[in-house]
Amino acid sequence: MTLTININPKAVWDDGSPITEADYKCSFDAIMNTPGSNSTAGYDKIASVDKGSSAQQVVVKFKEVYAPYKDLFGEGRLIKAAAVKDCKDVSKDFQDNIPFSAMPYKIQSWSKDQLVLVKNDKYYGNDPGKVAQIVMVPKADSDTEIASLVSGETDFIFPQAYAGIKEALADPNIKSTPGYGTNYEGLYFQEDKNCTPDATRSCAFKDDAFRKAFAKSIDRNLILSNIYDPIFPGGPLLNCGLWVPTIGPWCDNTIFGKADGTDGYYDQAAADKILTDAGWAKGSDGMWAKGGTSPQIHWIINSGNTRRESTQALMIPELKKAGFNIMADNCDAACYFQQRLPALKYDMAMYINTAAPDPSVTSIMSCTQVPAPANNNQGQNSAGWCDQAASDNMAKSDATIDEKARADLIHKIGKALATDAVMLPLYQFPNVAAWRTDQVGGPVDMDAANFMGFQNINQWVDTNGDGKIVIGAEQWPDCLNPITGCANSSWYVWTTAFKVLPSTWNTTAKGTYEPSQLVTGEPTVALG
Amino acid sequence: MLRFVARRLLWIIPTVFLITFLVFVAIRIGTNPIQAYLKLNPRASIEKVQQFKQVNGLNGNIVSQYFRWLGHFVRFDWGRSIKGSRPVWPSLKAAMANTIVLGGLASFVGIVIGLGIGILSALRPRSLFDQTSTTGAFVGISVPPYVSAVLLQLFFAITLTRWLGLSHPLLPTSGVYPAGHKGFDLMLRLKHLTLPIVVVAIQIIAVYSRYMRASLLEVVNSDYLRTARAKGISERRILVRHALRNALIPIVTVAAIDIGGIIGGLIITERIFENRGMGDFFLTAYENGDFPQLMPWMVFVVIGVILANLLADVLYATLDPRIRLD
Repeated sequence: MTLTININPKAVWDDGSPITEADYKCSFDAIMNTPGSNSTAGYDKIASVDKGSSAQQVVVKFKEVYAPYKDLFGEGRLIKAAAVKDCKDVSKDFQDNIPFSAMPYKIQSWSKDQLVLVKNDKYYGNDPGKVAQIVMVPKADSDTEIASLVSGETDFIFPQAYAGIKEALADPNIKSTPGYGTNYEGLYFQEDKNCTPDATRSCAFKDDAFRKAFAKSIDRNLILSNIYDPIFPGGPLLNCGLWVPTIGPWCDNTIFGKADGTDGYYDQAAADKILTDAGWAKGSDGMWAKGGTSPQIHWIINSGNTRRESTQALMIPELKKAGFNIMADNCDAACYFQQRLPALKYDMAMYINTAAPDPSVTSIMSCTQVPAPANNNQGQNSAGWCDQAASDNMAKSDATIDEKARADLIHKIGKALATDAVMLPLYQFPNVAAWRTDQVGGPVDMDAANFMGFQNINQWVDTNGDGKIVIGAEQWPDCLNPITGCANSSWYVWTTAFKVLPSTWNTTAKGTYEPSQLVTGEPTVALG
Repeated sequence: MLRFVARRLLWIIPTVFLITFLVFVAIRIGTNPIQAYLKLNPRASIEKVQQFKQVNGLNGNIVSQYFRWLGHFVRFDWGRSIKGSRPVWPSLKAAMANTIVLGGLASFVGIVIGLGIGILSALRPRSLFDQTSTTGAFVGISVPPYVSAVLLQLFFAITLTRWLGLSHPLLPTSGVYPAGHKGFDLMLRLKHLTLPIVVVAIQIIAVYSRYMRASLLEVVNSDYLRTARAKGISERRILVRHALRNALIPIVTVAAIDIGGIIGGLIITERIFENRGMGDFFLTAYENGDFPQLMPWMVFVVIGVILANLLADVLYATLDPRIRLD
């Protein structure tokens, strides 16, 4: 597969130098070779990045057909070749600044206390910045963030929704809107066939019938009304696994849901039948047992997370009533995310995942990613799910360019997730875009649901005339390197990378890709 | 005295050696650096993981890894953070400066006010002032910083500002300077430090007023002061020359150790007020499982506590001539 990108001849960095194929080549080299590179996924499918008919034409040759190619050469990872010493190792670059920009703003300064963006006078696009200065300031938590907005210290904030946020934002000069983003919470069932019981797991979910019946015994509507509704009333149940409805055509809400959006998966009678047919019977204690044994299911969450602890408090009695011997087996975040989850030391887990604009789940759900000696026990499939047909569909979808055909494959993978009871999706978390109407104006809420966050900030206007827009950031980037692990943070890309680094494609608030002003039009793909 | 100080300073070496080894093992058990790396780089290839292990000296058993780390540490090669590959020392230095400014000022304000209240309470026991300050101290000790911080933010940045009809908050909710500010400005810096200092100082005032009250009450009722009064020495001279000096001895010891402990950071206050100090440095490093940052932090905390203890011993001996350190 060959991808040909024609760079806009007007496209220049902030020093006036043209953006060329050398910048694409350098970005590719940096991503593939820099120690600690955040991700090489997709780039490892590239055979070469070469100059085409001119310095403004990039020819990318792939080793095989690679459908998620629109995720490449963008997402805040396109860097300027002339600004780094060695494109093959940029780990020591970008310590205190990203010293170039091809976007409406450029970084004037960055510190642990604030990020100051000023207008890029050399910006070539038709949507230059309207406000002289944009300042991002860290705010430790939602309370401080909201207090800073109410007091007028910040003009715009983007906190996660929580119970009481609407009351906290009640002010005649403040407007707010939910932006359903990329984070969703779900329940995951560990079903590794090589699982052996120990103090952290019963491995009961190796039994397909038991796992499916258990999943069908979980009343997700109960969780929605008791746990998520108080956070943001009216939010819908998430009915597709691993994808979200606001990003692309990948989420098929009928997989876990009914046509009206309510839970279509919960079915206690069906669960009982599955178990009875498979030879399970309820003992005198009311718990399902087979061969005289009633497995004890270990449900892990990170202790201290009140939402998840409340979910356990709500659902454990319900599941016990349904005949499942289940216990909370929690530990702190470091133990949970760094030790037990990667080592599959749990039966059921509850955590938040992030849906990327590209729907590929190969790296987290394929058979080859189940932790095993073959992958040095470093596979990322922490559910231990291996369905060869689904894995084949994942590989096939990664090599399918046609969006509709690809969406069909993704929906098949989604159905397999439901059929095999790999996970249960629960809720797509909204962030809340809130702003002071007396201090900032323009299309402030237009990108609230976008993968790129408040990307259209260049179109906002300063209504109080102080010459700047101040944005409170709930998480602050520890560092600025767009190639290394610094980039593995939504807030980093929202506040920093997307603001100065160009992309070949942009995503829209509807979750679609469109060619950016960096290129002259949609890049062409030639197969074969 | 000098021999004592020299001996204690020499003891720092094996103490730091032992503690860093224990901490190194604990951190390595508690935070798996490979998983921390994979958490930050979820799609890292096996080759990248091997490269990471090589660069960070994670090959071999834990003892050899510790000695490799120690070898680099004593040569001031403190490595780079797992997240962002940033050199450790500049970040640690900036964090330490912020903590020393906030912690130092808050301790100074808190101890001075606390001692003043304690002295006045002890001189007029069971008076209205004494009862009010005692109640205030219990409230101050009981209210956790995250509660007082949020209440003060709301009061000074929102409620009071509205009452006074100001266009800008009387005191900012957080940060070290206003958004967009460049350079050093003492007044603005102090304005942004006011609320965090108050939050930290509330508890210090509460605690030290109780210490001082109890200590001074014990001294003023002692036999030797009764003798001094019988000799006709003025009450003012008795208080200043004899009572206060002796009452301060245990408090100075506690204060030296408390101030030493501040080097570890004021985790809650620093987080809420976005004053990026040692507490925030530790918390961020811990969340990221970033052991190249955690270890130097720990060394500074250990050294800070040991030096503070040494200072307490020296001050104790200086204030009380009966104590001979040699």
